[in-house]
Amino acid sequence: MTRPAASARVARMLSLVPWVAAQGSASVDEICQRFEIDENQLLRDLDTVSMVGLYPYTPDVLVELFVEDGRVYMILPRAFDRPLSLTPEQGLALVAAGSTLLATPGADTSGPLARGLAKLSVALTGRGGDEEAASIDIRFGAVSASVLDVLRDALRSHRQVAIDYYAYGRDELTHRVVDPYRVSTDQGQWYLSAHCHLADGDRLFRIDRIRAADLLDTTYEPPADIVADGVFSPSGDEPRVQIDLGSDARWVLEQYPIEHVTELADGRSRVTIIITARPWLERLLLRLGQAAVVVDGPADLQSAGVDAARRVLARYAVADGAA
Amino acid sequence: MDKLERLLNLISTLLETTRPLSADELRSRVPGYPDNKASFRRAFERDKDDLREMGVPLLLEPVEGVDPPVDGYRIDRARYYLRDPGFEPDELAALHLAATAVRVDGVEGADALWKLGGVVEAEGEEPALDGAMASLPTDPGLPSLYQACAERRTATFTYNDEVRTVEPQRVGYQRGHWYLTGWDRARDAERNFRLDRISGAVTTGEPRSFEPGHATAVLPDEPWQLGEGDEVVARLLVDADHAAWAARQLGDDVAVESRDDGSAVFDIAVTNWPAFRSFVLTFLDHAEVLAPPELRTQMIAWLREVAS
Repeated sequence: MTRPAASARVARMLSLVPWVAAQGSASVDEICQRFEIDENQLLRDLDTVSMVGLYPYTPDVLVELFVEDGRVYMILPRAFDRPLSLTPEQGLALVAAGSTLLATPGADTSGPLARGLAKLSVALTGRGGDEEAASIDIRFGAVSASVLDVLRDALRSHRQVAIDYYAYGRDELTHRVVDPYRVSTDQGQWYLSAHCHLADGDRLFRIDRIRAADLLDTTYEPPADIVADGVFSPSGDEPRVQIDLGSDARWVLEQYPIEHVTELADGRSRVTIIITARPWLERLLLRLGQAAVVVDGPADLQSAGVDAARRVLARYAVADGAA
Repeated sequence: MDKLERLLNLISTLLETTRPLSADELRSRVPGYPDNKASFRRAFERDKDDLREMGVPLLLEPVEGVDPPVDGYRIDRARYYLRDPGFEPDELAALHLAATAVRVDGVEGADALWKLGGVVEAEGEEPALDGAMASLPTDPGLPSLYQACAERRTATFTYNDEVRTVEPQRVGYQRGHWYLTGWDRARDAERNFRLDRISGAVTTGEPRSFEPGHATAVLPDEPWQLGEGDEVVARLLVDADHAAWAARQLGDDVAVESRDDGSAVFDIAVTNWPAFRSFVLTFLDHAEVLAPPELRTQMIAWLREVAS
């Protein structure tokens, strides 16, 4: 926590005090649980709160507060009878979190979360009546609800799963047995961390590329620590290529693992990229077109873009003028 | 004196006052400030920062009838208090679960839940995202644009080197990016803006500064529909061994025609040609744009440039 302790304590008290006052009284245990505070700290902070009042500090404007038999009793001056409103950032984060869960395939769209979210957005925005509450539209990459269901079952029961997985980088369909560890999202995509028995190692799979998933009867022992957390972990001896990127291809720097960048003139940059599979480089070069020029690397990889373009052109049954 | 006490006293004083109070008045009314004037100034500045960080709406207004003019402080009561959402316990528990499962970068979840009545455990509820964690990035313009959608404030910002004034309808997150969907006044049409491409600050107008109901405000599913061009329907042929993957990426709304050899032809609405071209090229030589002729010609021209 970067914030100084005093203002964190104030933030908590500005919520805790109105809540207790609204109940009239509440048990110390429940307050501690709700507001994530230990008993000693709570009693110390309540002691401080009992001193708070209003100029000129006559008794009628002091907080009235006492603790008896494990319960806190409180009557408040007007100032603290309701909590501080959410900041725009807090409101947004809560609505976004709730919307994300609701957008999960298989979520209950009329359950407590949906109801809570609707009330929250009305409270945040002052909308009401027949006006639609302001919602946030969250969409992660399309995943099949049935694949996600199989993975959830497997995580609960620790059963292995057989998957048909499209290995995008190598452009091939593979069949493998995995021990699922975790389902998560990153950069708008769903991922499965799992131990892969084909690769004999921990791997991260994009769930939208799992074409079929079958729950097996065999079980596995989940590990204490989950290691597979990165999409890409080069072993060190993969080939490298050097590519000059135009200024409108700079997004490549943010999206892909770049080993080295040198800034050139006119906003261009020269990057060194590790290549684990040729089809991956082919796609990148086709997509970038004139904005990328391969300047160095193994001969086979230097021609990847040209080769791929010719193969695709052949599909279009067009004579390649440059050939 | 405990700083907690001083801050609480400061907040209650600023909430209850009917007129702005000058720094000197606050110093005499709020116990716990240092006597030394310079030390008081420093402590008061820090307290103001703390208050603002917590989201306390602190107003700075001239104190009336004082010469020379002096600025005073008070808290805007209308904006200070949380409007009670009236949650049922199960609703609060569900939101708590959501805040735990989904991290939003740079926002600490605990404070917000305290304000809503604290942490409540769900009873026998099965988490919707069992064992799963999601994380969302944030964007500096996002909170104010969300508020602008909700309160119907216009938003003005620079996008593609042009100043746009927009009636914001909805914010959305898709494939790793935040978008704003809104009615672009100068273009008199609905547009989608990627928030990370907005340059500089976003300024918003007064609440209820436009009437609702201009736009459909649904963020298109695909990057190739997030463009400003006129819509064309592209026919895309995908080979048998890639057809299932293409179908999943394109979703249920896209018309598809399956051929006997297992390949499939999709009819796809396109407003952003470069994004569509990139999508088609991810299939390498397993896919082909069949129509319209001008898109086919553009694809061939693009590939020829790479091949030469």
